[in-house]
Amino acid sequence: MRWEGHDRLATANLAPGHRAYKEKTLVAGGTEYRVWDPFRSKLAAALLNGLDELPLEGRSSVLYLGASTGTTVSHVSDIVGGGGVVFAVEHASRVARDLLDRVASRRRNVVPVIQDARNPSAYFSVYGKVDVVYADIAQPDQTEIAMSNCRAYLRGGGTLLLVIKTRSIDVVRRPDKVIEGELAKMRGGFEVAQLVGLEPYDRDHAMAAVLYRAA
Amino acid sequence: MMEVVLTELGVAVREGGEGGRTARVFPFSRSDPASEYVEARAGRVPEPLSGLAGYLAGLDSGALVSDEPLLLALKKGGADDCRLMDAEARERIQSSKPDVLVESGLAADRDEALERLRDFAMQLSSSKVAAASGSPDMHVIQAIGSLDEIDRMSNAAGSRLREWYGLHFPELDNIADGAAGYARIVLAGRRDGLSEEAFRGAGFDDAKVQMLSVACGHSRGGEISDGDLAAVQGMARQVLGMHDLRRELEARVEDQMRAVAPNLSAILGASVGARILARAGSLKRLASMPSSTIQVIGAEKALFRALKTGSRPPKHGLLFQHPLVHAAPRWQRGKVARAVAAKAAIAARVDVYSEGSINSTLLERLNVRVGEIGKKYSEPPPPGEPEPRERGRGGAADDRPRGRGGAADDRPRGRGGAADDRPRGRGGAGPPGRRSRPADDRGRGGAGPPGRRSRPADDRGRGGAGPPGRRSRPADDRGRGGAGPPGRRSRPADDRGRGGAGPPGRRSRPADDRGRGGAGPPGRRSRPADDRGRGGAGPPGRRGGGGAKGRAGGGSRGRGKGGGRKRGGRSGGPP
Repeated sequence: MRWEGHDRLATANLAPGHRAYKEKTLVAGGTEYRVWDPFRSKLAAALLNGLDELPLEGRSSVLYLGASTGTTVSHVSDIVGGGGVVFAVEHASRVARDLLDRVASRRRNVVPVIQDARNPSAYFSVYGKVDVVYADIAQPDQTEIAMSNCRAYLRGGGTLLLVIKTRSIDVVRRPDKVIEGELAKMRGGFEVAQLVGLEPYDRDHAMAAVLYRAA
Repeated sequence: MMEVVLTELGVAVREGGEGGRTARVFPFSRSDPASEYVEARAGRVPEPLSGLAGYLAGLDSGALVSDEPLLLALKKGGADDCRLMDAEARERIQSSKPDVLVESGLAADRDEALERLRDFAMQLSSSKVAAASGSPDMHVIQAIGSLDEIDRMSNAAGSRLREWYGLHFPELDNIADGAAGYARIVLAGRRDGLSEEAFRGAGFDDAKVQMLSVACGHSRGGEISDGDLAAVQGMARQVLGMHDLRRELEARVEDQMRAVAPNLSAILGASVGARILARAGSLKRLASMPSSTIQVIGAEKALFRALKTGSRPPKHGLLFQHPLVHAAPRWQRGKVARAVAAKAAIAARVDVYSEGSINSTLLERLNVRVGEIGKKYSEPPPPGEPEPRERGRGGAADDRPRGRGGAADDRPRGRGGAADDRPRGRGGAGPPGRRSRPADDRGRGGAGPPGRRSRPADDRGRGGAGPPGRRSRPADDRGRGGAGPPGRRSRPADDRGRGGAGPPGRRSRPADDRGRGGAGPPGRRSRPADDRGRGGAGPPGRRGGGGAKGRAGGGSRGRGKGGGRKRGGRSGGPP
């Protein structure tokens, strides 16, 4: 991960020559980098907005809930590199098609899991405990879903990165109240380390970094 | 105690505990482990596992099985002494899955295990995606989407065609009102070369053929060069092509809806059903929706506004297009929509879960209920009730889909219609019209001055103006204007209407179909000229069904009452 040009985020491309979503690429020192657009990826937005610690590094394993078309997944895959693995869970078949075509088929470290994240025990091909659970799901009970996945697959001491989508949880209540309510649900081994708002990249969204100690 | 472990690559039977010796392996096929795995998890026994139950039955000790459906299948197969593994053991296996694969010989080493797990995931995911894209309801959804798209395109191209060929033969515009008929005449060539045969061939009746023959004799149009004519004709061919395509698509949707969702289309009709289906995403999702959701599908904007501000929720969304809802008097519509939605919800479930059967009682019960509503609430609620309550910016039905489009406000549609950011409407605009939305499409409609939300047209507006119309929305489709002065919600000329105005009518809706106007002054619900009526005004009747033959109702034929426009309105409705 490097800062390039006008202070932009970029990740070293694990699959040189292939782009996941028509992002810009640039070559520096013989390595191809893909620019990481904070308007497209909430993880990039969180980093730019001061997320203290990115728990991802080479060889990390990640359970990614709500992979969608794989925009962020591709960058996470760049970061964890060939020694790491990303289990990309997505339920909707339309976007999963793009995920498979653009990202999963080109990156050996991405394991696509087309399943409903509500039912973690039904996942196939997921093995071991992961270092990070990243959850970006548009469901009213997104926090509960993320927590149940953590209990099943996150190692003790691992991190949950939770995108809180206030508009998906409750359109009527004020966003800050919704966030408060979601954070209050984090009990029993979960400890919120940091909360980052995603303005101006995403409205009414926030990212919570949550430490997990196995219950 | 033996352990029976279901993995993605096969079943391993091993001695219990950590690092237990593997006794026997039943691998899935190399080429297609995914479907065999899915079968096993669905409680069936795929071919490679056919010997498993017998093998287990022959063991001295019992076995613990890692997967419940597999356990049930094995018990059926005669392996009685099996139990489900406890959660802790399953967790242990799960977290050391690559090792289990290697130990049991399903993979040569850890790297191969990971590789094959990933391949498995790719394979299973791909097959799931393929299965989802193959379901016929997806195709219905695409077809109805295309239909709407074609409508939009052919309307735009058709009106451009009229503009262009109109330079040469302006009179045709008023006489030929179908896009296809117009295009055929354009294809026939210059106006002076047109024979009666050509007109007849374009599908006009004798009266029109007469008018056309006279008109092309002394036209006010200019000359057109060969090159330009060829270009216009190319355009006309496209319009005709789209016309045919539209017909095919419509038939296709009708067909497929009957095949995919026979009950739903019996209740809703094919096109409304298909649009609701498209909004829901799939038939399965529709079947899991509550009827209250179905009732307001397509009115999300109004619904969320209602939730936010605490005002009254919308009565109907896409369901407004349903004939029963549409035809019901205004005060009954909410009730009718609710009844229709309730039956539609049941119908969708019948379609998904009891394939092929048609439940005719649904429709009967619906009709009974609608009849009941009609009787019980035959009188409108007394005025002064909070019934047409003011709210946000003009009412629940704001984003109720209209016209053909069938989509909510947030989808740009038609010409001057929905999209705020597309100032292309031809409709005129009234200065401070509250929410005048003239001329969805080719409408030359007017607008309502003192309303509050006027959406001015561009320089081509032909619209008339209707003074204090609160929400005048004339001419959904080819309407030529008209407006509803103090009408609360005048919506003249649903289709081809040429105008008309409904002055103090509460809800004047002249010219449902080809009507040319008409107005119903103080009528509460004036709806003149249902069919081909040419206007007229329905005096103070309650339901002024307008008379006929008046070209423009209500007020005048004044040109350009409204805003700055080139061509002035054909009809306006100054009070």
